[in-house]
Amino acid sequence: MKGFAKWLIQLGVALVSIWLISGVPLLISGFQEGEFLWKEYIDKLKQLVESLFPIQDFAVEHYVGGWTIKQIPLFPNLAEYIEYSLQLLFLALAAAVFFALLGTFFTMLLKERARQRVKMMFYFLESIPDILIILLAQLIVVIIYKQTGVLISSIAVIGDERIYWLPVLCLMILPMIQLYRLSMLTFEAEERQLYVELAKALGFAKVFILFAHIFRNAIISVFFQSKKTMWFMLSNLFILELMFNIPGIMYFMSQNMSGALFLITVLSFFLPVFLLYSLGEWAFMRRLKRGGAAL
Amino acid sequence: MKSVWKQPLFLLGFGVIVFFLLGSFVFEWIFGNEPRQTFFITENGRAVEGPPISPSWLHPLGTDQFGYDMLSKIMLGAKYTILAAMAVAALRMFIAVPLGFALGTYLQRHRSWINGLIDPIHYVPMTIFAVILLKPVLWMPPEGFSTGLIERVIIQVVIMALITVPIVAALIGNEANLLYHQEYILAARTLGASRRRIIVRHLFPQMREKMFVLYGQQIVETLIVFAHLGLLELFLGGTEVDYDPMFADPPKSIAYEWAGLFGNSFRYLQGAPWLPLGPAISFALIILAIAAMIEGYTRASNGQVELPKRKKLAFVSDETIEWNHQQLKEKMTLLQLKEEQKVKS
Repeated sequence: MKGFAKWLIQLGVALVSIWLISGVPLLISGFQEGEFLWKEYIDKLKQLVESLFPIQDFAVEHYVGGWTIKQIPLFPNLAEYIEYSLQLLFLALAAAVFFALLGTFFTMLLKERARQRVKMMFYFLESIPDILIILLAQLIVVIIYKQTGVLISSIAVIGDERIYWLPVLCLMILPMIQLYRLSMLTFEAEERQLYVELAKALGFAKVFILFAHIFRNAIISVFFQSKKTMWFMLSNLFILELMFNIPGIMYFMSQNMSGALFLITVLSFFLPVFLLYSLGEWAFMRRLKRGGAAL
Repeated sequence: MKSVWKQPLFLLGFGVIVFFLLGSFVFEWIFGNEPRQTFFITENGRAVEGPPISPSWLHPLGTDQFGYDMLSKIMLGAKYTILAAMAVAALRMFIAVPLGFALGTYLQRHRSWINGLIDPIHYVPMTIFAVILLKPVLWMPPEGFSTGLIERVIIQVVIMALITVPIVAALIGNEANLLYHQEYILAARTLGASRRRIIVRHLFPQMREKMFVLYGQQIVETLIVFAHLGLLELFLGGTEVDYDPMFADPPKSIAYEWAGLFGNSFRYLQGAPWLPLGPAISFALIILAIAAMIEGYTRASNGQVELPKRKKLAFVSDETIEWNHQQLKEKMTLLQLKEEQKVKS
């Protein structure tokens, strides 16, 4: 129960901080003029909360053609954008985790010297900026189209169509490399444990030990360390939506910057991811306390 | 510790950065701060290509849509981008290091809940934070900027530095707290050393190397955020916007810094791919150079991983484990729980 209360406080503080930050641009504009707009800031925050309730009627302003303002309601329009963004994010996450673990599994079966080389290569691959990866992916699609006339995927979204596999591919590459490196490090540390030697001495095959023993223990460590990858992925998603013209919530926000929309955007990612990680931590912790595995 | 100047990786990275930085100043000194402009290329007295001109010997990276040479632009802009990223990272470290040490020593009782509060930051996209906070500073309002260029740069550097201070401080705090429970610190405390003395004499020298690595990583993160902001047309030092309703020029970056070069040109990918690729590859080069420097530096401070010639041993050798451990530490996203258990036992 104590853990739950702590979790609630964590959530509450995070929500309040996001709310407070959504008004800060006003303070910064004031600061540039050399005045402190505290009163306006507090008014703005109040107004934000009032506009949020009731949530069914919540709408944000959308500038059409620069001058006319259209009200876009949260349901169903914004919810659709959010849904698309979250779909991309979680598809890419699942793909990244899957391929990272698959890669780790196969590298672990290699000889040590080869492993070292693979790790070094991935260290440098990891530092390629996301913008370059997206640019190159789009360029390759364009070149293939020019050479063969086959459009393997559209590189920009027009209207309301939804493209999936190319954005997901671009979004998953860097997190996959990061997760791969992380899981290689933990798998190799786990490989040194005594129980592995025992299993080896008992004559189990390497593949079996790797899958049945090491994998189950190392995965917990990988989960706890993957937070930073998640963080990084969220920023990547933003850039991805911009560069592919994807009608997701982040793209929409970049076109119509406002405090209320900022709040909605941040919350639409914060809540699911926070929930996911809290659940995961809770489940793994419970397993640990039962004495399931050594962390 | 071996000399870092004997590490090929470190030297390589250092060379690339020095090339861009010094090159940028020298270039401006020789050619002035206006890039070369070519309106069209003629062959046998006939114009064969107008801007944007594709890469050739005359223009190794091509020219932009107004005929300005991309290579000159990239060289002229290098100093702003690199120095600004270094400044942001330095300021961030400058604020986060004292906070982190305080968190790891004076506030160690409260560390658990402070960490709990900092943790949710990991679920918020950082670029969005940077965008919403920097938009009022960098986007020119219709009546023109109320601040000067220097002022804007300073405000931008400060805001970007502050955004991730909590996370960096928490990392340093956890690491400092780990060291704080080592035996030799315990001995020092028993002998009556104050916390301040322990920080200055023991913790700081112990963590100096890690902080260099962290500094390098902060520069990389800052460069990436610059590129992201560039896509949103928020350029270093502000964006000049033409509010003419009919023939508005595209938003302009004030100097030729790379975020602006990239942000203005990525829509030309299909027609003139050299326009966005030039700045994007430059970003990648600098980031790779820093990664190489970090790796060279860690190798120099830990001794290189020399794999034993004998093959039949355990699965992996001790040296590999040592290297892995160092890499994990470098990430500094240490498992709190694991470390706390270690401390208790």
